[in-house]
Amino acid sequence: MLWLQLALTGLQVGAVYALTAVGFSLIFGSTRIFHFAHGATFVLAAYVFYWAYQAGLPAPLGILAAAVAAVALGVTMDRLVYAPIQRHEGSFFTVFVASFGVGIAVQNIVGMVFGRSFVTVTTELSRSVKILDGVYVSPLAWIAVACAALFFVGLQWFLRRTHVGMALRALSDSPELIRAYGLDPRRLSTYAFALGSVLVVPGAIITAATSGLNPALGHHVMLISLAATIVGGIGSIGGALAAGFLLGLAESLALIVFESQWTEAVTFAILFLFILLRPAGLFGRAATS
Amino acid sequence: MAAYLLNLGVLISIYSILAITLNFIMGYAGIYSLAHAVFFGVGAYAGALAAMHLSASIFVTVPVAMACAAVLSLALALPALRVRGEYFVAASLGLQVLAVTIFAEWKSVTGGIGGLIGIPPVDLFGQAVYRPASFFPLSLAVLAIVIVVTRLLVRSSFGRNLTAIRDSESAAASFGKNVPLIKTISVVISAALAAVAGTLYAGYLSFINVESFMLDTSVLVMAMVIIGGTGTSWGPILGAAILLLLPGLLSYLSFLPPTEIGAIQQTLYGLGMAILMIFRPGGLVGRGKARETKSAAKVAVGQKPPAVEAKAEGAR
Amino acid sequence: MNAQAHMPAAGAGNEVLLEIRNLDKHFDGLKAVSDVSMDLRAGIVTTLVGPNGAGKTTLFNLITGHLTRSGGSVRWLGRDIGGMKPYRVARLGIARTFQDLRLFGDMTVEENVLTVMEPGALPFSLSGPSTAEKRARVAEVLERTGLSAKARTRAVDLAYAERKFLSLARIMATRSRLWLLDEPASGLDPNSYELFLRLLREEVASGVTVCIIEHNLDIVVSISDRIAFLDRGRLLADGDPQTVLDDPDLAAIYFGDRT
Repeated sequence: MLWLQLALTGLQVGAVYALTAVGFSLIFGSTRIFHFAHGATFVLAAYVFYWAYQAGLPAPLGILAAAVAAVALGVTMDRLVYAPIQRHEGSFFTVFVASFGVGIAVQNIVGMVFGRSFVTVTTELSRSVKILDGVYVSPLAWIAVACAALFFVGLQWFLRRTHVGMALRALSDSPELIRAYGLDPRRLSTYAFALGSVLVVPGAIITAATSGLNPALGHHVMLISLAATIVGGIGSIGGALAAGFLLGLAESLALIVFESQWTEAVTFAILFLFILLRPAGLFGRAATS
Repeated sequence: MAAYLLNLGVLISIYSILAITLNFIMGYAGIYSLAHAVFFGVGAYAGALAAMHLSASIFVTVPVAMACAAVLSLALALPALRVRGEYFVAASLGLQVLAVTIFAEWKSVTGGIGGLIGIPPVDLFGQAVYRPASFFPLSLAVLAIVIVVTRLLVRSSFGRNLTAIRDSESAAASFGKNVPLIKTISVVISAALAAVAGTLYAGYLSFINVESFMLDTSVLVMAMVIIGGTGTSWGPILGAAILLLLPGLLSYLSFLPPTEIGAIQQTLYGLGMAILMIFRPGGLVGRGKARETKSAAKVAVGQKPPAVEAKAEGAR
Repeated sequence: MNAQAHMPAAGAGNEVLLEIRNLDKHFDGLKAVSDVSMDLRAGIVTTLVGPNGAGKTTLFNLITGHLTRSGGSVRWLGRDIGGMKPYRVARLGIARTFQDLRLFGDMTVEENVLTVMEPGALPFSLSGPSTAEKRARVAEVLERTGLSAKARTRAVDLAYAERKFLSLARIMATRSRLWLLDEPASGLDPNSYELFLRLLREEVASGVTVCIIEHNLDIVVSISDRIAFLDRGRLLADGDPQTVLDDPDLAAIYFGDRT
């Protein structure tokens, strides 16, 4: 039953990856900003939740605090870093380097404030329950998958049915069109960052309560988000979701063959295969968006 | 004190080589790599193994190291450069992560986490060079050679082609430039020269392990290039000097907790990168103004052209 | 209106350089270029006209390999070049300019021109023209386009008209047989116009074949040997300038769409 156990773990990990990647993909797809600091947002949200837990605050408050921190970082980056850069130049790499720099700074500040060792939040929900002989699943795994589904459906509804959502979808294609409809691309960009950043929160909290945290997690999260965005197809939110699950499952199932230190290698191998054989990803831009 | 300064001089020379070679692809070809520490590492391990098992002569170790790094860089460049720049960033980040795992796990070759110990000192015409006082001139000489080689390349037609591709890939292709090939060659040259720094490093310390070749190092070298000035001749060297002097200077500030020096340093250069990009994207040495001033600024509103170009590239 | 008016085109006896047959390009169901067939003959200036979004630039992109066709064929001297990469197409002797120019912004004017003359995929290539030959050619091209005084200026620092001429200088330096010019004269003042037209005529006289996208009807009339009219991806007319321009149906489409 090892494979079933690993598949279920993979599903849980995949849900976390999927939501984080969807956030990155939403930001990148609509604003074309390569938000490398997305990994730092994840780390910050997770540690704020951890801090609230240590301080004895009730969980809903902790979740709220994490969400506020994530959105604050995302929106601040958009306003104070990306907006000024885009005013004078806005080349892809200038934005990338700035984002990268802030990501490193945030990650190190988190390390200085909370320490660099491994920490976890243990809750009732983290405890694994036996569902079959040799197969244990914690309720958090189901919550993770449910969260991914819920947030994704909610996001899709938002993007298809609301004014701002539809404008966000149009933003990457035609900023001119946005202006013609009397919307401000900069303001929409801020919405994209707020939304994209809040999407890391469920994953960050679930990670804190299951596999645990350390500040260096940001780079791993970033690699996964990038890989899922490319594997899913740049600009495709559904693709990022599917690719997040795919990477989580692959990482976990790879444990049947490899030792645990090779999990990131599996992600890399999948990413490389896609770049090599199918650079448009699972769902190229044309298929969905 | 003299030993301390000489040691610092050696490290600045070695990191300057890394920064110059990264600048070669970042500044002139517009290729952003997060895997430079991998080629540094491959150069160090290959050079060390060659010194331990073949000959410690610099004329053996350096070519071996360069060849290994060049071959590995091909594996990264060939697929990743056929597509857009974002893919290279992603692929290089992936390679960096993978390489750290391999450096740490391939015990029979890299010595695992423990690393390689007892690497023979660099042998130059039969003389073992290991004292900082004699190693410093050697590292300076190698640095000078690397500077000259990269300057010659940048000023050749090859360098012009790189810059043309960076400024407009589609236009360069329309004038007959084989864009993927030219980019691939630049990455191979950069990786091979970074391996030279690795070989020096291994021979100087006589001990290496994975910790010197992690993502942190790639980030550090990228920060050196950016802070000093991307696409400038002296910027990367200035950047290397500043960032290597920083920990020493920070340790003079006695109110800072010593265990946090590393984190403070990383925070500083992270913020430094972001602030420079906002106010002075060319770096300390570079031109104050952003690269695209008048014309592109007009076009860049809303970034329509890149999207159009992206579509055209994607459709190929 | 008839789908494709057949009119005797100028230079009918000249050698066909580029032969386009039933070319199609679809984007997500949108037909950007649809069933276009036309020949570009040696020494003939063909102008592509039509409202915005008619598929003119897309047609260029299909010829140069910046886009891949959905159907049909493009032949250069009888050889199918559809699906060829842009750099291979360029090496056949087909050069182009871009509407947004795409100069090498950080390089000087001189370097912009020098670069297009060098094949140089390898660091130290031994082939290609000698340095003295290249310098002489660069000087000549800059002289003719009025850019000599700006040789050491970076492309981004040029004024608008100068940038347009640099784009032209680059294509002149390539010594290509076929030029595809995408709105090379738009936004030029009358003096610059004159220079532009003179240069174009000189180049045509020296054997260059030109296909040009242009909106300004004065220019169209004064340089075209032949006009091809595109609308919504389809070639509605292809013939001598007067016949095409006098067609009331085409005029209605052209001016109707603009208002």
